[in-house]
Amino acid sequence: MVELAAPPSLRAREKAIADRFIGGFPWVMVLWPLVNTTLWLSLWPLVMTGLLPLWAGFLIATVNVTAAYLPSHDAQHHIIVPEGSRWHWFNELIGWYSLIPMFVPLSVLRVTHFEHHRHTNDPALDPDYPMAASTLAGALGKALVKGQPLHERYGETLRRLGTPAAKQAMLHGMVMKVLQYSILAGLAWTGHVWEALLLWWLPLKIGSVYINVYLSWAPHQPMSRRGRYQDTRAFRSMWGNIGSSGMQYHIIHHLYPTIPLSRNPAAFRALRPILEERGCDLGGL
Amino acid sequence: MRLIAFGFSLGPILFGIGFLAPLIAALLDAAGLRAPFGVSPLTAGLIVGSLLGLVARQRRTWLW
Repeated sequence: MVELAAPPSLRAREKAIADRFIGGFPWVMVLWPLVNTTLWLSLWPLVMTGLLPLWAGFLIATVNVTAAYLPSHDAQHHIIVPEGSRWHWFNELIGWYSLIPMFVPLSVLRVTHFEHHRHTNDPALDPDYPMAASTLAGALGKALVKGQPLHERYGETLRRLGTPAAKQAMLHGMVMKVLQYSILAGLAWTGHVWEALLLWWLPLKIGSVYINVYLSWAPHQPMSRRGRYQDTRAFRSMWGNIGSSGMQYHIIHHLYPTIPLSRNPAAFRALRPILEERGCDLGGL
Repeated sequence: MRLIAFGFSLGPILFGIGFLAPLIAALLDAAGLRAPFGVSPLTAGLIVGSLLGLVARQRRTWLW
C-alpha cells in the first residue's frame, strides 16, 4: 500500500518560496552608499570652491539625503553581512556610512525599526504610528508635524525599552544630534550659512518628508490593520519602484525581513498566489 | 539625566541662535534690507532667531 504524503501547509509553501530569495551579497546596497554618501561629502568642497553652483549642489544633496536611508535599512536587518560572521563589521560600516547625510545613528534606527516590525500599526507601540493618516495630504501633514520639536516617537521608544541596546542607541542619538547642530552652527557662523542651509538642512527636511510618507505611511496606510498578512500592503506607485524606494513590495519585507530590498520584486511575483490566498491587499500590483 | 534632558529641551533656542541668527542676517543682506532701529543684521538675527526659538520651545512647534 502506498502512503500519500500530506501536502505542505500554506505557510510551509510560503517559507520554501521565500527562502529562495534570502542570502547572497547585496552588491547594490554596498555600492549605493559608497557612491551616494561620497558624492554628498564631495559637494561641500565643490560648492565652497565655486566648482559647482550652489543650486546644483542643493538638487544633488536633496537626492543624496533622500537616498541615504535605504542601504542602512538592509544593514539594520544584518542583510549585508549576517550577525555572527567575522565580516559583520562591514555590515555596520555600510549602515553607518550610508546615514552620514541624514546624520542619524544606525543603532537608533535599528532598535526603533525592530519595534516597528514587532508592533506594526499599534497606536501605542509602533514608533512609526504618528504617520497614521487616511489620505496622502494627511500623511504630508503628519510628516511635517513629526519634524517639530519633541513630536517624533523614537526617543520615547528608546526610553520605554530601556534595554542595553536602546540605552546605547539613545547615547548615540544624543551625541549625533549635538554634533550635527554644532556643525550647522559652525558653518553658519563662519560665512557658510547658505551651504549649510542648501546642502544639508533643507535637503534633510525635504528628504525626511519623502521618507516618512513613502517608507512609513504608504505601505501601511491607513495604519489601522494589524496582523502578519494585513498590516502591510503592496501598491502601485506613479513613480515606479525606484521612485518609491522599492516600497511597492514592502509587504514582502514585513513577511521576510531578511530578503534584500533588491530581491523583493522577484519574491513578490513568486509569492503572489499565496498572498492572494491569504487575502493580502496587493493594491493592484 | 535631568540636566541632559533640560539641555536638549533648549534645542530650539540654541538652533535659533546657532543657525537662524546668521541665516536671518544673510537673508537681510541678500535682500538689501536694513534692520530697524539701526541694529546690525547679525544683532537683528540674534533677536529674531532666539525669540523664534523660544516660541518654538514653548509651543513645541516651529509652524503653528
